[in-house]
Amino acid sequence: MRPIREMMEQTYDRGLENLIAGETGISKIDGDNGKLWYRGYTIEDLAEHGSFDEVSYLLIHGELPTASQYERWRKDMENWHEPPEEAMAVIKTLPDDTHALMLYRTMLSVAACHIPQGENTRLDAQWRRPAGILGWCSTLAAATICHILGKEFNPFNPGQSFSANFLTQALGREPTEYEIKAFDVCMIVQAEHGLQASALAALTVISTGADLGSAVLAGMGAVSGNLHGGAIKKAFLNLLELKSVDEAKAWVNVKLNEGYRFPGFGHPIYKTHDPRTKILEPYAKKLLENKGEELLWDIYQTVRDGIESKLGEKEIFITVYGVTGLIYHALEIPVGSFPIIFALANQTGWMAHCLEYLSEGKMIEPGAIYTG
Amino acid sequence: MASKFDLFDKDFDWRSKQVEWPVTTPTSQGLSGVIASETKVAWANPNTGELFYRGIPVQELADSATFEEVAYLLVEGKHWTKYPEEFQSFCFRLHRVRQMPVEILNLIAAQPADTHPTRLLRAAVSALGCFDIIPHDNLKAHHHWEDVWIISQVEALVGHIARYRKGLKPLISDFRQSLAKDLLYMILNTRPTKEQVKLLNLLWILYADHGLDAPTFTGLVVGSTKADPYYNIVAGLGALRGPLIGGAAERVIRMFIRLRDANVARAWTEGMLAKGYIIPGFGHRVFRQPDPRVEIMRKYLPEFAKDPEQRLLLEVATSIEDTASFYLNPKGIYVNINFYSAVLFHFLGAEPEMIPCFYAVGRMAGLIARVREYLKNNRLYRPREKYTGKTDRTYITMEER
Repeated sequence: MRPIREMMEQTYDRGLENLIAGETGISKIDGDNGKLWYRGYTIEDLAEHGSFDEVSYLLIHGELPTASQYERWRKDMENWHEPPEEAMAVIKTLPDDTHALMLYRTMLSVAACHIPQGENTRLDAQWRRPAGILGWCSTLAAATICHILGKEFNPFNPGQSFSANFLTQALGREPTEYEIKAFDVCMIVQAEHGLQASALAALTVISTGADLGSAVLAGMGAVSGNLHGGAIKKAFLNLLELKSVDEAKAWVNVKLNEGYRFPGFGHPIYKTHDPRTKILEPYAKKLLENKGEELLWDIYQTVRDGIESKLGEKEIFITVYGVTGLIYHALEIPVGSFPIIFALANQTGWMAHCLEYLSEGKMIEPGAIYTG
Repeated sequence: MASKFDLFDKDFDWRSKQVEWPVTTPTSQGLSGVIASETKVAWANPNTGELFYRGIPVQELADSATFEEVAYLLVEGKHWTKYPEEFQSFCFRLHRVRQMPVEILNLIAAQPADTHPTRLLRAAVSALGCFDIIPHDNLKAHHHWEDVWIISQVEALVGHIARYRKGLKPLISDFRQSLAKDLLYMILNTRPTKEQVKLLNLLWILYADHGLDAPTFTGLVVGSTKADPYYNIVAGLGALRGPLIGGAAERVIRMFIRLRDANVARAWTEGMLAKGYIIPGFGHRVFRQPDPRVEIMRKYLPEFAKDPEQRLLLEVATSIEDTASFYLNPKGIYVNINFYSAVLFHFLGAEPEMIPCFYAVGRMAGLIARVREYLKNNRLYRPREKYTGKTDRTYITMEER
């Protein structure tokens, strides 16, 4: 985000809703028509043709990489695939039943004690960091999931894509080509989404002159919250409890009458279908079919249609949080770890926002009206 | 009907009986002029420079109250003398949780000793959350804001980190002692004097709340997603230590130590000003007059400058202040809290790098008060941006780029 240069009068609601906090060249969200662009490319275009390795470069640097830029970007990420030993070791000292995202957070915050020249926050140093952060985070996130699954941690394979490596390490097995593509698309469509709470937290931290890693840790704090990344887990658990299509229908009706706020449904910006869900649904369907879990897909459809047919007029539709759980589940990623994947993808956008802000941004310090 | 506020009007003092949302305000860079919450916790009068916690002038609190009392006042919104039993139970809850699992002490000891202490503190707080948040309840983990123990846990962790850096063996916190006494005992390795305890209480009180500055605003944003306190503090510590904010005190004290002589300091300051550089420890976003917290600290400076080394440091500081004030005061720029707090923290035996950690303990009180207040009427933070970048591009293969 870049600051708006002139002072302007604005009308906004609680939670800074409708406030234009600044200008950006990273992503455009058209909430009325359900469209999302990264750097001027539609999300559908990038999901179909691009890879996360390219899209992460695009988000941060503004252009799709040329062959040599791509080579360097991949090499940078690869050079950082091995986080400090202390960070890898800490997981064994924490209680067995700790939440996955807390394990991951702790590994990252230990890793942050070992950043080479961590206190150097000059612009050039900050710009060198994203590849390293993606590299470390990928290995640490995979290690967390692998630890929870109780599998053997596979070595890093330099020739593989970001997503292929991540799945191999996290799941402790060779993923199929289709699984890799599905996961990669998940990463691409969740890599950036404007100034959501996580990005705003990251931006506030970077605005104090802190290092990029500290900003990413702040973004992750927001993801942990029930109202942000936590919704992925809750939405999926709701589906998992339903045993048949009929039960799903009945449950939706009961909950609709109760006025229940369905997790994974309704987005503050999209007044229509979230474009990311449309991209992900075919992958979710096929992955579930491959696993013989067609019933879960049918239940999902029933719940989605039941809710949208009633609440669609109130502009409440399924969001990306409502569908990604199906893909993660089909990939055998444990439920507790769902928010980790979201954070791993989404941090790309936080970093892009932070770097965009750094060159001219002032310290973020809004005010509060005293009513006491 | 939206409430309209002209927040850049010099006389508008940021108070209102009620706020009708949505609001209309003039907004500028860094979200200045933006109303991010309503509060009953604290108020700084931008026109006079007075500061109040829950309606009580901060001078009054600084001179006579303990940090525990002010924490209770900020968090619960009640005066400790009116609710003696409740206050006692508050202190009990606060003091009894300072024993750290051995895994946490091992975690600290496993990192290089020259790691910046705020990074160690962040890692330790993160690990502690794994022990303290009951498994399987994370969907309601934000209820942990009802507990206040994170204040004393941060205090104990800061003590352990300070000891580790000095090569001292871990010490078990004494749950009967006040936070200030416990921490001083940990860092000094001997019983602190009454004056030292009073001074640390005072510094924590002055740092306890300061509106929605970057660390506290980070806390509100993360809190608005219903994250638990540990995530929140891991996030906020990044901002608290930022070179432009808590990190400034660290820079200030290094500058004093380096200059070593009042005349050198004067010449250096004049040189800096002539080149148009910023003097660390000067300037404030809201106050255009002396910061009341600085005036309070100033009183205590001579009392603590005991040995020649300390007196010299104070001379250096005073010389920089006098020189810079001559040029900067007419522009409404005065020394800020980081300038003399750095000196006082140094007098208490804190290393420069440790200062943001010390300051963090005090800030926990204000953070808890503000997040709790916001959660009572929560709304997820979600501002927008205006897109000004490229449009209508289509994917081309790498060979064609």
